Amino acid sequence: MAERPGIALFQCQWCLFSPTDQDWVDNHLPNNIYLTKTPCTGRINPLYVLNAVQGGADGVMISGCLPEQCHFVTGNITARRQLEEFNDFLNHIGYEKQRVRFVWLDLQDRGMIQKELAAFEEELKNLGRAANLVTRMKVAEGEQNA
Amino acid sequence: MVDAARQPLIEVKAYTEVERVEGFVGNFKVTLREKAKYVRADRCNGCAACAKACPVEVPNYFEMNLAPRKAAYIPMSQSVPLIYNIDMDACIHCYKCVEACGALEAIDFSMEDKMVEEEIGAIVVATGFGHFDPTPMTEYGYGRFPNVITAMEMERLNNSAGPTRGSLMRPSDSKSLRRLAIINCVGSRDKRYNSACSNFCCMYAIKNALLLKQMIPEMDISIYYIDIRTPSKGYEEFYDRAREAGIKFIQGRPAGITEDPDSHQLFIKSEDITLGRVVEHEYDMVMLNQAAIPQPDQNHMSSVLNVAQSPGGWYMEYHPKLRPMDSPTDGIFFAGACQGPKDIPASVAQGSAAAARASRILHSDTWQIEPTVAVVWEDRCVSGKGQACGICERACPYGAIDYTKGISAEVITAKCHGCGACVGECPHDSITQLHYTDAQVLAQIRTLLAVEPEKKILAFRCQWCSYGGADLAGTSHFEYSANERGLRVMCSARMDADLIYEAYRLGAGAVLFSGCHPQDCHYITGQIAGAKRAARLDKMFARMGMNPARFRTEWISAAEGDKYARVINEMQAALDAIPQDELKAEIERLKPEMEKKLSKLNQIPGVEEAMIQVDFIVSEMQNKAVPV
Amino acid sequence: MSLPVNSKLAEQVKAIPGGEMLMMCFSCGTCTSKCMIQEKLEPAYNPRRLIREAVFNLEDMAFNDRTTWLCSACDLCYPACPQKIHISGVINAVKQLAVARGRQNPYQTAKVDESTCVACELCVEICPYEAISLIGKKVPFRGMISMASVDPGKCMACGICNAACRSTSIRLEQDFNDNLVVENLWGWLESEAV
Repeated sequence: MAERPGIALFQCQWCLFSPTDQDWVDNHLPNNIYLTKTPCTGRINPLYVLNAVQGGADGVMISGCLPEQCHFVTGNITARRQLEEFNDFLNHIGYEKQRVRFVWLDLQDRGMIQKELAAFEEELKNLGRAANLVTRMKVAEGEQNA
Repeated sequence: MVDAARQPLIEVKAYTEVERVEGFVGNFKVTLREKAKYVRADRCNGCAACAKACPVEVPNYFEMNLAPRKAAYIPMSQSVPLIYNIDMDACIHCYKCVEACGALEAIDFSMEDKMVEEEIGAIVVATGFGHFDPTPMTEYGYGRFPNVITAMEMERLNNSAGPTRGSLMRPSDSKSLRRLAIINCVGSRDKRYNSACSNFCCMYAIKNALLLKQMIPEMDISIYYIDIRTPSKGYEEFYDRAREAGIKFIQGRPAGITEDPDSHQLFIKSEDITLGRVVEHEYDMVMLNQAAIPQPDQNHMSSVLNVAQSPGGWYMEYHPKLRPMDSPTDGIFFAGACQGPKDIPASVAQGSAAAARASRILHSDTWQIEPTVAVVWEDRCVSGKGQACGICERACPYGAIDYTKGISAEVITAKCHGCGACVGECPHDSITQLHYTDAQVLAQIRTLLAVEPEKKILAFRCQWCSYGGADLAGTSHFEYSANERGLRVMCSARMDADLIYEAYRLGAGAVLFSGCHPQDCHYITGQIAGAKRAARLDKMFARMGMNPARFRTEWISAAEGDKYARVINEMQAALDAIPQDELKAEIERLKPEMEKKLSKLNQIPGVEEAMIQVDFIVSEMQNKAVPV
Repeated sequence: MSLPVNSKLAEQVKAIPGGEMLMMCFSCGTCTSKCMIQEKLEPAYNPRRLIREAVFNLEDMAFNDRTTWLCSACDLCYPACPQKIHISGVINAVKQLAVARGRQNPYQTAKVDESTCVACELCVEICPYEAISLIGKKVPFRGMISMASVDPGKCMACGICNAACRSTSIRLEQDFNDNLVVENLWGWLESEAV
């Protein structure tokens, strides 16, 4: 078990304006953070979050564009609504609400993603490890429907 | 400035506001508010003891708020007159300055604003321009990123008398800089803020770049631009020099600036149009070359001076090409950027021209104006009879008519420019224009339409544009229909609806309503009033069932002789297309309606005498068989 | 939509709502430097060039330009444009004209799996471009059913419907695969890192 909390990062592919930030996220993320780039935050299936939680990720971070700057008009707003509800469900089954964080990045902010990740990591450290939820079923027991 | 203040004939009134301007050319009465400085001008010797003693520090607006000043201050060390001033908004009333001033006793906290009335012969307005504040353009981050500065701040930062004593440094960490970007057209050529080009900023950016390059030769300077405009003599050579000096010119307007929050380095991403690709560059500092805009109180001053404003908010000149330094009001002149953004050579030229114009007034005992001024028939004006009206006052583009309910309207002759807009608008025919009285114009119409009116095309032409156009058509030998009969009035605003009804009552075949193009009107807004009336008439005639070919509105400039000939020929062709019996029937049918509209016209003074003259001329012409 | 065949491209673009301001462009390049598609997907993407092609009536160039088809109307450029040109409106106008001339959208759009769609209308609700509607259709083995249908002219391939669908019956063909994402995620979760 690693010392730093594991974070599953879902990033909308438009939300980082500066090439430097994008390069950092693409190539220089620390091991405890796993990046999944999606076309839009609205494209993030709650299933992904569920899988991350099941697998023992300590936190899930979703970064998208500012509300009025969504590349697909309202994708980020629908995503937040959808994931907020899903988060309530996660909370119900014992996964703290603070462990799923939705951040909106202004296009003009350079280095924001690093700061946000650092702050999130700090908070997760304070929270401790995530409760052990149902782990993944083995492939033989019917994983095909994932 | 110091020399000007020493001239015995020049009085510098600093810290004084113009409150009210009354009167007319040569006889202005100007009310000035001399603001209280709380330092007596006759005692202060500019020793700065009060400023040294003053414990209050506030931002110095002269240094673009980059440096502090005391509450007892002069804005800059070369101030004229050199008299200190106490900022009452900042003063904490500790009276340390009074102690410091000592035996001079120049400081007087009991001073108050003083109103002074002065008699002035001519006024030259040289209030300059204001600067666009780039804060609303959030994409450039001005105010948020410390190293994004405006052109005026840069001016102070590299000035040897400025807050840094001439050493250029970054506001964020006071370090020197290696890479500087200058962004042009911030707020100008931008429909969101000011759509106009600010005229001098391209040269200003090049000047600043060259200056900084000379100060720090290893500095890397890029100028982002949409178009570089170097239109005057020697300007292009200056641009060449800048390119030779290694200043980078990047065509492409940056969409935004981003900042590294720790090092405060700035990144500009823009499309390099000449390369055809998007590039991002890193800079230590960015200078925004912001737009020149009218002074913030220009609207207020325009109402105080009673001069109009152009669409951008600048003061409007009499004529953009021929009289750029004159205001529409005689005796008020413009110098420099208050009339429109311009660079130093143009401002100097305009200022000299305005001074020469003003001295013409000061050196003459009388002032000649056009004789075609408006006159009110006091016995006919309904305002004198107690009715509310004031139409003439609203119609006048020069503010030359005084209307008070209960007193008949009064024309200030010295202000009148003789456009006749009031005459055209007055519904009671109680105002007229000398040399173009209703009687005179009616007499001309009747004479022109004396014989076979149904074959004639009566053309109302304005003095400055379409009359010149017709003249040009003649001197250029453009052929147009011989049935055209031209009639000159001063402006399309003078083309009274009554005159057009009269033409149709007499059975005119067709009427042309012509004047200047909207932007070329000699009388500020005369053409607009004329165009409105023409549109109203057009609708009314359509409702009456008149053939649309018989009334036409055209805007023809003095250079469009060919257009004048073409319009007349087209009207002739359209008139020919109407069968004769149909045309005659229509004229007969509309006659009673026109007569009804003209019921008041014969009561106008002078009409009867004029008509006797008309009858005489017509009979003479018929006797001698002169073609009419 | 009926369009005059002989008129010039610029005139036609101006006639379509959104394209009115076309001729105001002075090619400052702000739109291109603001564009996220240019930044993230396609370095050759250039709205400024497309407007230029439309202004100069270069029909073939404009219709073959990828800019015509890739724009998703995020309107980042519109508030930045100093001439207040609604750039995505112009691009949309060019696109409409291209479709009217029989050009096909070379990029992917969402597709509905007619064997599983249950017409729950979740995707209809969530689509930001109002590209999805319910239609009645006769489907083998299921008979006459109502199901979702995607308008290829409006779909911008964002995949939001894919995420919203509870029966995985609407999806993008070249989109990243749900299974693949989950698999990669698990790969990381089961590694040493967590």
